[in-house]
Amino acid sequence: MTFLNATLLFGSLAAAVPVILHLLNRSRFRRIEWGAMHLLEAVIKVNHKRFQFEQWLLLLVRCAIPVLLAMCLARPVLTGNSLLAGTSPVSLVILLDNSYSMDATAAGVSRFEQAVAAAVAIVRNTTPGSEVSVIQTGGIPTPVFDQPIFDGEAMIRRLKTLKGGYGASDMHQSLNAAFATLAGMTHARRELVVISDFQPSDWERRDIMAATIQQQFAAMNVKPVLSLLKVGENVTGNVSVESLNFAHRPLGVGEPLFVRANLKNHGPVAVDNVRVTLTVDGQEAGVSQVSLAANGQTQTLFTVAFETAGSHVMQVDAATSDSLETDNVSAAAVMILDQINVLLVDGDPSSQPLKGETDFLSVALTPYSFGRMKLSDLVKTTTVTADKLTAEVLADARVVVMANVPKLKDDRLSILQEFVSDGGSLLVCPGNRIDTRWYNDKLVTESRLLPAAFGTPKGIINDQGQSAHIVAQHFDHPALEFFNEPANGDLSTAEIRQWFELKTDSDLRSGFLEEKSQRYRTTQLSDVEPLPAVLARLDNGDPLLVEQTFGEGVVIQMATSCDADWSDLPMRPFFVPLMQQLVTTMATQFTPPGNIRTGEPAVAVFSTSSVEREGDQSPDDGSLPPADFDESGRSLSITTPDGARRSLMPTRQGRRMVARFEGTQQPGVYSMTALDGRSIHFVAGTSREESRPGMLDEEHMTTLAADTQASVVATADEYLEQDRLRRHGQDVWKYVLLAVLAFMFLELVMQQRFSRVRT
Amino acid sequence: MSHVHDVLSARDISKFVNLQVLARQVVEGFCTGLHKSPHKGFSVEFKEHRQYVPGDEIRDIDWKLYGKTDRLFIREYEEETNLRATILLDSSGSMKYSGSRSNGLTKHQFAIRTAACLAYLLLQQQDSVGLVTFDTRVRHYIPPRARPKHLQAIINQLDRTQPGNETDLGDVFHEMVSKIQRRGLVIIISDLFGDIDQLLKALAHFRHARHEMMIFQIWDPDELDFPFRQWTQFASLEQTGNEHLVDPTQLRKAYLQKLGEFRDQLAKGCSRHRINLVPMTTDQPYSDALAAWLGLRRKSK
Repeated sequence: MTFLNATLLFGSLAAAVPVILHLLNRSRFRRIEWGAMHLLEAVIKVNHKRFQFEQWLLLLVRCAIPVLLAMCLARPVLTGNSLLAGTSPVSLVILLDNSYSMDATAAGVSRFEQAVAAAVAIVRNTTPGSEVSVIQTGGIPTPVFDQPIFDGEAMIRRLKTLKGGYGASDMHQSLNAAFATLAGMTHARRELVVISDFQPSDWERRDIMAATIQQQFAAMNVKPVLSLLKVGENVTGNVSVESLNFAHRPLGVGEPLFVRANLKNHGPVAVDNVRVTLTVDGQEAGVSQVSLAANGQTQTLFTVAFETAGSHVMQVDAATSDSLETDNVSAAAVMILDQINVLLVDGDPSSQPLKGETDFLSVALTPYSFGRMKLSDLVKTTTVTADKLTAEVLADARVVVMANVPKLKDDRLSILQEFVSDGGSLLVCPGNRIDTRWYNDKLVTESRLLPAAFGTPKGIINDQGQSAHIVAQHFDHPALEFFNEPANGDLSTAEIRQWFELKTDSDLRSGFLEEKSQRYRTTQLSDVEPLPAVLARLDNGDPLLVEQTFGEGVVIQMATSCDADWSDLPMRPFFVPLMQQLVTTMATQFTPPGNIRTGEPAVAVFSTSSVEREGDQSPDDGSLPPADFDESGRSLSITTPDGARRSLMPTRQGRRMVARFEGTQQPGVYSMTALDGRSIHFVAGTSREESRPGMLDEEHMTTLAADTQASVVATADEYLEQDRLRRHGQDVWKYVLLAVLAFMFLELVMQQRFSRVRT
Repeated sequence: MSHVHDVLSARDISKFVNLQVLARQVVEGFCTGLHKSPHKGFSVEFKEHRQYVPGDEIRDIDWKLYGKTDRLFIREYEEETNLRATILLDSSGSMKYSGSRSNGLTKHQFAIRTAACLAYLLLQQQDSVGLVTFDTRVRHYIPPRARPKHLQAIINQLDRTQPGNETDLGDVFHEMVSKIQRRGLVIIISDLFGDIDQLLKALAHFRHARHEMMIFQIWDPDELDFPFRQWTQFASLEQTGNEHLVDPTQLRKAYLQKLGEFRDQLAKGCSRHRINLVPMTTDQPYSDALAAWLGLRRKSK
């Protein structure tokens, strides 16, 4: 028990007044010579003890009245058994839900605005010296400031600028982040406030979360007080554009792309005539109208063709008037390739049609040109002989195919090596003319350009019974993913009559994809030890395609020839897509994904020329301030979904410049603009789990609170009230006042009652 | 030398002059008066006729009746005797009390005046009056006389009496029973404070001696309603050093209850022994109270 106005407790000195009055009364007595003493004595004798007791009791009650009154005025507060915090500073962590479901608007106020208002109120009411950290839970947990700060006003200013609409909250991660932050904070009093709309999808793993929290609690010396602040009203009915589906393969200019938009109605009422619009780079490219049954899903298909190369953004809008507008839009970035120059080095040229080593390949890579169709091919091939392989012809090429080249001169080889290590791609196909010893010595042992040594040729060219087949398996490599779909052709139908055994000195790995994605996300390209990976095997276990990075580039080694001499691959229908996929994948493998999840870095790779050459000139758009230029005078700018523009320093990696932008927590379109005016768009997407408009009901909230040892509050005021109770305890002056009244009444009753006599 | 008029104003005396004190029962009398006597004798008030038997006085024979009936009857008269009244005046310390409402009179002074009134009244009608003053024991005893001069003696004695000492009614009364040998009226003027059982025993003793009893119980109004408010030290008038410092408001109810019990017991005891108990308070004019009682007394004859 403490007192808010402790000085008023001096008023309890008034307790002396009844005592003084009593003593005064006794000392100023009257003396009476009394006759009827025998009557008086009898009364005194019988009741003396009782009178004395009653006197004391009465005196006690009379003394208690001023004491209680003083206590009442001193505003007593009950604090229970807990440690008295009073006005001591606090370490406060607020988990602020800024996921897009918080954009749901009711009565003109969005949940996020309510949440920010609550957070501001809580921060404003912290005691001086408190440290505060606000962690936004949308997408990946992101603290507003990197470190907890002691300046509440700065936090409030920052809070007011925050915007919602981030990805779905990962409450588990957020709680872990919050506990980690709390553990590093200084004050003994710790508070954790979760401000959220408490969507069921965020709290599906309640039991795990509760276990985590309890574990965290157990591990902590100072247990934080956990409060759950629920904002927003429950809304019913929401239509969301769940996702856009389209084939993720390299696209050329004018190639049609089928985009399937998945729409979902989360409400119990059917929604009719939803106008769905597809826009490409802000221009309307297609409209359709759909109807959605209650809780139903539907798809709508758009066909788009892109007229220019480069990065484009497609966006699908569903025009509904639900309270949550953020999820009525879904966007995707598409990279349209201009032209891929492929240099075919023919080791066995022939003047007859289709007899040359690279003829089939050339046809397969440029089917439209070969068929004299209107459409332009994505790939442009140039065929040279081995001795024509010079730096000049390599300059424009992105992929080089060495088909049955016996050997290269040393200077040619060094040009080729430089080409690959600078980021070029090399496809090596053996044949009957190759010098396996030269390959193994120069390319495998010496320079490690090739992933595997050529062993002994296997199989017999003309014996079809001895032929091997490609193992039909699930392909992880992006170049072969296409064939995971059986309709796109069956690789196992091809007969490989003769092939080289490819021997690698280390274990061949197939974990290509993980390695690659890992490389983009975490480390520099050159830090990764190049390891050969097998893309496809023959049914006798020999590798057919082996891939390895070399410098900045990539090398794929085939075990058989690319013409019809050793296999019937070129005769198969899938030869065209196979080669197209291989070549385009190799050419575009350093095009990092344009569609990322929130929180993943947006990475763009530029050729040095597009940065460097332009960098020498002054930037023509003039939008970049000079301060953004580093000492070499190169910079990029990135526009985030909320319209903010930031400059970005690319880093040089070989022949390429790599620009990374980490701050992609907000879903939406990020546009990276190079100095030459070209833009690369990224779309940070998020799961649509939060589109389901439900909120945890009272019962679930109570269970959640019980599981997490938290208290549920409805408003910031309620939280502050509870906080005040925890700090100062419960205000009990009303009860004390009642006690005063009760004692006054008691005094009256006692006075009346005590003048009665016992007989 | 004190005079009657010191204690009795002319107005007081005039009030009593036409009143007569009548004893309820027949008391042995010395001289004939208004009081009936069981002794038949020379008197004017006819009682009855009875048959003559040899040995009777010849002069008592009613010759007129003999002439009419030819038989001898003795004419009997009732004897009128003098009332022998003894006033027992309590002079104990408790009679010294004087409250604020008693016109400055102590209970004792009130008692003296009452006693003087009674003495005067009784002597006026030729009754004999004696006086006993007592506290723990008998202080003075003036035997009853019927001479008018006797009043002076009584009043002198009354005037001289000063209250003091404790009360011991029981012993005193027992002592008096043996002293007052002839039956008569015993008038006790006292507050009767003391042990009630002993008192009643003593009264019974009086009654046993066939005295008619009359008690004037003198109260001060303060003793009846206990009006004290502030803290008070009650000091005993009888025993020095017996003091009690109390809050009177707290005691009042208990006191009044005790008082009620006391008076109730007394009244019951008195009515059991057919004693006339007359409570008097010092704030009412004693003459009024006396006159009112005497009127009542005559009515009940």
